[in-house]
Amino acid sequence: MLTVENLVAGYGKVRVLQGISLDVQQGQLVTLIGSNGAGKTTTLRALSGMIKPDFGSIRIGGADITGLSSHEITRKGVAHSPEGRRVFPVLSVEDNLVMGAFTRLTGSRPKGDVKADLARMFDLFPRLAERRLQLAGTLSGGEQQMLAMARALMLNPEVLLLDEPSMGLAPKLVEEVFSTISRLKAAKVTMLLVEQFAAAALEVADYGYVLENGRIAASGPAERLKNDPAVKAAYLGAAH
Amino acid sequence: MFDFQTLIQLIVSGISVGMIYGVVAFGYQLTFATSKTLNFGQGEALMLGSLAGFTIMTQIGSIFGIPLPIAYVLMLPFVLIFGMAQGALVEWLGVRQAIKTKSEAGWIMATIALGIIFKNLAENIWGRDTFTFPNPLPEQAIQIMGIRILPMEVLIVCGAIALMAAVEMFNRRSIYGKAVVATAADIGAAGLMGVNTAQVITLSYALSSLTAAFAGVLVAPVTLTGAGLGSALGLKAFAVAIIGGLTSGVGVVVGGVLLGITDRLTGYYISTGYQDVPGLVLLLLVLSFKPSGLFGKSAIKKV
Ligand SMILES: Nc1ncnc2c1ncn2[C@@H]1O[C@H](COP(=O)(O)OP(=O)(O)OP(=O)(O)O)[C@@H](O)[C@H]1O
Ligand SMILES: [Mg+2]
Repeated sequence: MLTVENLVAGYGKVRVLQGISLDVQQGQLVTLIGSNGAGKTTTLRALSGMIKPDFGSIRIGGADITGLSSHEITRKGVAHSPEGRRVFPVLSVEDNLVMGAFTRLTGSRPKGDVKADLARMFDLFPRLAERRLQLAGTLSGGEQQMLAMARALMLNPEVLLLDEPSMGLAPKLVEEVFSTISRLKAAKVTMLLVEQFAAAALEVADYGYVLENGRIAASGPAERLKNDPAVKAAYLGAAH
Repeated sequence: MFDFQTLIQLIVSGISVGMIYGVVAFGYQLTFATSKTLNFGQGEALMLGSLAGFTIMTQIGSIFGIPLPIAYVLMLPFVLIFGMAQGALVEWLGVRQAIKTKSEAGWIMATIALGIIFKNLAENIWGRDTFTFPNPLPEQAIQIMGIRILPMEVLIVCGAIALMAAVEMFNRRSIYGKAVVATAADIGAAGLMGVNTAQVITLSYALSSLTAAFAGVLVAPVTLTGAGLGSALGLKAFAVAIIGGLTSGVGVVVGGVLLGITDRLTGYYISTGYQDVPGLVLLLLVLSFKPSGLFGKSAIKKV
């Protein structure tokens, strides 16, 4: 579904990604783990067009999307729940979700049943239902995180990019986020998940990549990575 | 000797001119929201709108012999479209490139330069002299408890409020309006929603000049019109946008009316020569003590 080959990207003259390749099959949950500053967020930004790759290629379902702007990439079905949540604080919870379906409501993606999908999001995230008309800026961090995920899902994406959906959440909420991700996986949503909780991420994922200093240092089925001594030592230690 | 009647009279006429400042200042806000840039040629957009309106209205009037009020109404859609096209042109020629290269000075110089060009263009087409704009409403003032109010002044206040309400409705209710609000809040995240944010910025310039052009045909019947109409009004409205805050819709209305009234009071009680001083002093005070404007929010609370 999503194929990345030899991707080089960064900010201005600073190269962060030194040529990474990865693959996300349809219906798969793939996780990208790595320490702070490894380039996980940068990878997702390059995939969704928030930054322009310097080199390499990105394809989605066979179509080349390398170098397109983020709105064009979104129209191809890549949804990105970005680092830091980035919900629209001055819009209501519902309007944030409606914005997630912007491409569907304006004819650049198949419309489907937006109303039914809204209802589905409120089922999936009951807390959001209670706060439907509240401004997103007044939500708690955890609620904003749920909103960011739900908003991305409103695209009916071909592939969903999740950047640390558990960041800054209390342990109970982290569990909730992971159970939601499992449910999405059961619903056959194709996902690329960036996570600081590497152990938990490898637990739910089908496949994993380990990013180190802008390079893929290891990859393999999640089951195998979980038991890889080097990965264990570096990422699955007591701190994680 | 203090004449209360005169004071009220001055306040009432200050309100209508203040609403014009408010509407133009509202236009400044529209582009600032989406792109953090301002069209310093707003005053010239107002002037062009009023002159284009004059020409369209006299054409409509002379060809079909239509009465003035109807000619005025028929002229409005043309002027609004003209304003949008003019604003989009400013964005396209002067702003887009500067935004792309993140050049601060770029858009400032470009919008000022384009304003000057538009003014020269207007001088060549309509001449340098001022002339009267046909008044669509009766010239006789309405008397309410001894206060004289021109029908056109009432129309200015209603028109200004209606326009701002219409833009607000567009932003709240329509999906494209929500895209504008989303772009203003977080341009990167709006792009992730599939919004072409470059187009939204163009749209905000178009709407901003539409606002100014509309203000031009509202104000022209009570003042005179001409190529020089824009400069002073544009500067006043800029002061209002700063005083009221670049983010507050209520702020520009209150700021506009405040400035309109102080203008009139100073002009009458002190001297018309000093008419512009209080507003500019207020502008300087706000800039030094509350740069976000009297009504501006410093930043939206992040959780
Ligand atoms: N906007 C930016 N401009 C310049 N450099 C940046 C920018 N964003 C990130 N970087 C740099 O790029 C490198 C990779 O950052 P990135 O955010 O991709 O890391 P990450 O793997 O997501 O880390 P974390 O786990 O802390 O989120 C870091 O060295 C960082 O300082
Ligand atoms: Mg990150």
